[in-house]
Parts: sequence; structure tokens; C-alpha cells
Amino acid sequence: MKLRVRDLTISYGSEPVLEGASLAVDYGRFVSLVGPSGSGKSSLLRALIGLQRPLSGTIETIARSQIGILFQDDALLPWKTARDNVALGLTFKGMERGKALAEAEAWLERLDLAGFGDRFPRHLSGGQRKRVALAQVLAMKPELILMDEPFASLDAIVGARIVRDVVALVERQEISVLLVTHDLEEAISLSDEVYLLSQGPRAHITQHYAVSIPRPRDPVHSRTHPAFAPLYERLWADLSSEVDNRAEAA
Amino acid sequence: MLLDPRYVWLRQLAAVAVLLAVWEAAGRADMLNPMYAPNPSRVGAALVDLFADGRIWPHLDATFTAALGGLALGIAVGIILGVVAALVPAIAELIEPVMSVLNAIPRVILAPLFVIWLGIGLASKVALSFILVAVLIFFTVFSGIRQVDRRLVERVITLGGSRWSLVRHVYLPSVAAWVLGNLKIAVGFAFTGACVGEFVAATRGLGYLLSFAQSTYNAALMFALIFLVLVVVLLIFAIAGYLEKYLLRWN
Repeated sequence: MKLRVRDLTISYGSEPVLEGASLAVDYGRFVSLVGPSGSGKSSLLRALIGLQRPLSGTIETIARSQIGILFQDDALLPWKTARDNVALGLTFKGMERGKALAEAEAWLERLDLAGFGDRFPRHLSGGQRKRVALAQVLAMKPELILMDEPFASLDAIVGARIVRDVVALVERQEISVLLVTHDLEEAISLSDEVYLLSQGPRAHITQHYAVSIPRPRDPVHSRTHPAFAPLYERLWADLSSEVDNRAEAA
Repeated sequence: MLLDPRYVWLRQLAAVAVLLAVWEAAGRADMLNPMYAPNPSRVGAALVDLFADGRIWPHLDATFTAALGGLALGIAVGIILGVVAALVPAIAELIEPVMSVLNAIPRVILAPLFVIWLGIGLASKVALSFILVAVLIFFTVFSGIRQVDRRLVERVITLGGSRWSLVRHVYLPSVAAWVLGNLKIAVGFAFTGACVGEFVAATRGLGYLLSFAQSTYNAALMFALIFLVLVVVLLIFAIAGYLEKYLLRWN
């Protein structure tokens, strides 16, 4: 097990944004956490990496250095070149700088960014910056990657290409993933399991679904798999009824 | 070429040349009182005289030493105080009010006080330049660090960076960017401090020469000195601009 969360409650004030959330990510599994805006998805992810202190609950996971995080914003250091950005985490791990730069260059090449190592983030396109951020995470050879809607800011074609490459790399290296998203299609097409969060405040996990689309998977083509549409309809119905119930209660 | 943006400098140069020609012609036609507005040719002659007999060099030396000394000290102390105050709230409580008061007043009014404390030599001029620059740099760094992009801080933390990594890879480069962005203003402040200090009480320096020209009603010398200060500051601006462009090439 790479990650196990039990009864996690997160609060910013008097009322919890997320209450009693429990989920697990097993070895090599791609797990998504889906929920509407304000359901505490990002807060849960921040709690997992220590950027947010939970009110209660337990988090069991692997060593912090084996976890990679991919945010919606690429958050590259603007004064460092693409190569230096990728090498940054490796040097934090104690790798000698020359070796870290060589490793960074290799990862840039692997992610179709050969020749872009000397460029500063400002001189890269949105898709290229996202690939640099991805190289930054993958270069650390993580066993678990936490993703917070990392593809939301990309246009459709660029996004689809990057998602395809990410899925291929994750499958090949058997990396476990927890993806936080509000996009049902994205969650189903990429994941082995999907957790559904209710509307916040006091959001909680209402359902847990298994996705039976086989791997290796092409994220675009998996949307045409016979298992996709029924699961999408089920998820949509559960999510809609949850939002409707909350609206009525209010 | 008349409206081509590439030749804007040529049009500006031509406008200055026309202004000087009209000024010279008006002076020669006795339309201007040379006591208030001497001909450009007389200003030029005064400038040549300053360099020809070599008496300008000790004055330039004094002003440059005071300005650059105050600039270097002001930048160093402004950065140190700004970083410490931004990272240690208890220190910010003490320093910020003092800096705010110093920022609110026209700091050149401290010049007579510095003369009393430090004498009419170099030290009082350095002190005035220093205080003008240090307050500017302090607020640049202090507010800059407080507004540093949280996403970059979190990125470094999530990559496994230590507190020192944050200072080295996030805070210091941010500080460098803000200081370089204000370098031209700091240079202007440093020369203002040096010249005003010399103007108040000195035996050397461009400010002292200006004061001398004023007391002897030597308008040509005054214009020549103003022109000289202008050229010197523009030259340093160009160097600061080049530095800024090179060091902030990522931006």
C-alpha cells in the first residue's frame, strides 16, 4: 500500500471543509478523487504532503522523498532554466550537480524537450512548461505521484498528448497515482479506481468505483471502451443526486 | 523616417539641437540675460575649462566616492534589514516604523545633522546617500519577500528543499530581481545624497562647486556642472540598465 487515509477531517474555520475521508492507493494503481468545486479535494492533497494540517484522522504513506507532486500551476522557478528546474529536486536529494544536470537533460529528452534545456520558463509554451514540471517530478523517481488537476490549464490537443505520455510512463514504471479532478471523463479514462466526494462544506467520500478498462490504456481511446459510458452515467447520477440533496437541505 | 519608431533617438537628438541653436541665437541677439541663461557656447567653454585645468577631478572623485559608497552601503544594509524584517516578525515590529518615518520625510533634511555628527568631510555625504538608498532598498526587499509567490515556496518544499534551499533558490533570486529593478532609482538617490550633502557643507565635490557657482552668480559654470552630473548619472543608468537586462534575462 502506497497511501492510506483514514477518517481525515480538514477545517479552515469552525466548519470542516472535508469530513471523515478514507481512501487507499495500492502499488501501481491509478486512483482518482472526483468531486465538485469546494469539496476539499485540493485540501486533502495538501494535507497529504504536509502543506495543510488536518483536524483529525491518520495518513499512512511512503517516505516523503518518494512522493512526487504535480500541481495545476507548473510553478517552475522563473530564474532557472528548464534543465536547472528539473535538476533542482535531484540536488536536494544530494545528487552531485553535474550528474543531476545530465539526468535532467535525459528526462527533458524523454519528454520531447530535447534542445529546450537552456530556455527559461517564460520562453516556453504552456504545454512545454507542463512537460518540464512533469520531468521535474519523474526525475525524482517517485513511487507515488499526487496530481492536482495538472492538465486543466492546457488546451485540448496539447493536454491529450501530455496525458497520453504521462499514462504511458506511469504504466511502464508502475508508479501509483492519486489524481484529484472535477472532470469525470478524465477520472474514468485514466484510473483503475475512482472515489467520489460530495459537495462541501463537510464533504465526504460517498462512493468508490472500480474501472474495468484494461491496461495498457490510451486515454483518448479508453473513452470509447464499452465500460466507459455506463460508469460515466453512474458517476454522473450519483454526483448529481448528491448536489441536489445538498441544495434541498440548504 | 519622419515617423519611423526606429529613428526616435534621431528625432529627439534633432529636437535638442534645434533648441540649443535657438537658445544660442537668442543669446547672441541679446534677447537673453547671460546672468540667468548664458549661451550654450559659454556653458560648453566653462565645461572645457573645468577639464582643461584639471580642477574638476578632485571634485568628481569626492562626489563619486560619496555616491558609490552610500549606494553600496545602502544596498547591503537595505537588503539585510529587509530580509531579516520580512522573516522575523519581532524585528519587523521594531524596524518598520522607523523606516516608515524615514520614508515619509524628505530625507535630505538630515544633511545638516550629518554635518554636525560627522563633519564636513566625506563621511557626512556617504551617510546622506546611504540613508536615501537604504530606506528605498529596505522597502523593496521587505515588501518583496512578503509577496513572494507562495507556489514557488511550496514547489521547493515539495521537491524536498530545506529552509536554506528556500532562501537560496526562491528568496535571494527574488530579492536580486527587486533590487535590480530599483537600481536606477537607487543610483539617482545616491547622487542626490552626495550632491546635497556637498551643497550644505563641503570643501570638495560637484555639490560644492555648484554652491560656489551660485555664490559667485556664475550661471555658465552652474549649467556646465548640471550637464556634467546629468551625463554621469545617465552613464551609470546605462550600466545599471545593462546589468539589469543581463541578470534578469529570464524575465
